[in-house]
Amino acid sequence: MSCSVLIVDDHSSFRRFARRLLERSGFVVVGEAADGAGALAESRRLAPEIVLLDVLLPDVSGIEVARRLGRESEPPTVVLTSSRSADEFGVALEKADARGFIPKSDLSGAALCQLLAP
Amino acid sequence: MTLYREGFRSAAWWATAAIGGIVLALILNGELEQGTADWFTYLYLVWMGAWTAIGLFVWAVRPYLRLTGPLWAWSGILHLNDNFVYATPESKFLVTEALLLLGLGVVVFIHWALAYPSGRLYSRLAVPYLALGYVGGTLLNIPYLLSSPTSYFYSSDLSWDIPTITTFNRVLVIVWFAPLLLIGMGLYAHRLLTVSPAARRSVAPLMIAALIQAPAWFYAAASDLWGTDLVWSLEQDAVVFVSFVAFGVIGLSGIFFVKRAHGNVGDLVVELNHVEPGHVREALARAVGDPTLDVGLWLPERQEWVGEQGEPLALPSGRGRHATFIGDRLAVIVHEEDLLDQPALLEAAGSAARLALENARLQAELRAQLVELRESRARIVRAGDDERRRLERDLHDGAQQRLLALGMGLQMLHAHVDPSARELLAESENELQHALRELRDLAHGIHPAALTDNGLADAVRTLAQRAPVPITVEIDERTGRLPQHVETAAYFVVAEALANIAKYADAHEASITVFRNNGNAHIEIRDNGKGGADPDHGTGLKGLADRVGALDGALTIDSPPSGGTRIVAEIPCAS
Repeated sequence: MSCSVLIVDDHSSFRRFARRLLERSGFVVVGEAADGAGALAESRRLAPEIVLLDVLLPDVSGIEVARRLGRESEPPTVVLTSSRSADEFGVALEKADARGFIPKSDLSGAALCQLLAP
Repeated sequence: MTLYREGFRSAAWWATAAIGGIVLALILNGELEQGTADWFTYLYLVWMGAWTAIGLFVWAVRPYLRLTGPLWAWSGILHLNDNFVYATPESKFLVTEALLLLGLGVVVFIHWALAYPSGRLYSRLAVPYLALGYVGGTLLNIPYLLSSPTSYFYSSDLSWDIPTITTFNRVLVIVWFAPLLLIGMGLYAHRLLTVSPAARRSVAPLMIAALIQAPAWFYAAASDLWGTDLVWSLEQDAVVFVSFVAFGVIGLSGIFFVKRAHGNVGDLVVELNHVEPGHVREALARAVGDPTLDVGLWLPERQEWVGEQGEPLALPSGRGRHATFIGDRLAVIVHEEDLLDQPALLEAAGSAARLALENARLQAELRAQLVELRESRARIVRAGDDERRRLERDLHDGAQQRLLALGMGLQMLHAHVDPSARELLAESENELQHALRELRDLAHGIHPAALTDNGLADAVRTLAQRAPVPITVEIDERTGRLPQHVETAAYFVVAEALANIAKYADAHEASITVFRNNGNAHIEIRDNGKGGADPDHGTGLKGLADRVGALDGALTIDSPPSGGTRIVAEIPCAS
């Protein structure tokens, strides 16, 4: 499996480690973005298959970014992530325009693959 | 009283009184030509004397009415003085001065009426009008001075014969007296229409009387057109006499009766005994008869004047309004300038209201402090919320991120360690997961980050989902996003209520209702548990009540021992 991934998170340490983690599992990390606006711009430019998207971004919420990505002509698969638990977001996550949610503490190539499996 | 003393001691007053006395004495002493002094003339003279005396009296006891008293007295004296036109030929001086001042009594009278009762002219047009009246009235007497054989200024070359003088009289009435009266009436009518409510009561009767009588005056003067000499007929005199009697009565009552009509100081004293706090203004306004009156109270710590409700009050700077201070920086009464005609009334009303005003000042001060306290309480809660948000953010951005990175690092190490170390690595990872979870819960307890981003509705639904009993959530779609501090307080109310339900209530079901009601956020949590929740025991509910109260809201807890608990928070949304 060699999907292209865009990592969106406002913490550079997370982006750095997540990139290495995912690349080891065979994903191709094509880009990184630190906020919602950057996420939309990079997604349009790089057309990744997957966007790994933090729920709480400094400018707009990840839920909103997911909604906007979903309206693109070729929408990427959005996987939400956060250092907070899914419990905290509750119904907001259920309504979100995303394939699923992986807590940051559980992030691994395998977890991502499992979520993407049809 | 300084006001009275000043009036009596005035040299002008004594001089006027002396001149009036001399003029009256000379007339009654037979300085008039024989034959003109019938009984009616005497009656007229007596009334003019009385008129002058009334003027002197008003001047003495109401000196603050400025020119009203002097004009009153002098209009009488000048009217009397006109009679010296008929003085015996030996009294050359009297005839000369009478001819010189002839008719000025009318101008002075008009001046008096226009300035009644305060002695101030109310229209800017009145100044040139009166100036023209005085100057013109004097200049137009020159032909008489030159033509009268008894005048010092008699000139045989320049004097006019009787027919010419008669024609001159007629022309004078048309081009001089008629316009003078008409313009005066116009000024008067204008004033009657624009007079302030406080003054209307005192001036309206005189004004209406004047407007009715001016045509009669005009008729009396116009009779000259058909007359053959300078002597006024009995009817003419009668009209002027009746007018003057009416003016005297109305004028006097306007000044002295007004005081009673306005000056319910006695009533004020009684009323102030049971006046509602914050309503001293109304009582004072009624007492002095000025509905536009404002009351200002001095707040020392704010160094400004405020109204009874604590709102800032600007002192008047322009014409029309006047500020009367009570005590040393205690209170101020802002009123219509006309009230200055009655300083004694203002002083009395102010003294009567002093205690109530002092009381009102304390109330206003207290109210201002309460406002301040409420604001600072809300500020503290908001500052607390902001601080918690910042703390949560710091935990999240700092320790949590580092631990997460550490976890991912450990995960990647798996491929590189030999099997004997894997167990240790797995244990370390497990510890790390625990640490992360604890940190996450701690951060969430400090501040629910999802609330800020996704709003109250989602946060409440999320809380309901996690509750151990089934919960019906009803959130009005129109509620929308509320101010941040309101959402935070509402969230904590719901979270605490649900925590209590889970811990103590023993309920089977519960419901949460959120809607917006008249600018208030209404949050209601009900359960069918055992009830008996007491906010005074256990700090959870008490803390919530404080938090809601700080935002000017109210938290109601209805939890009878018979069962069921209902918690309602009403929080104003105006930020």
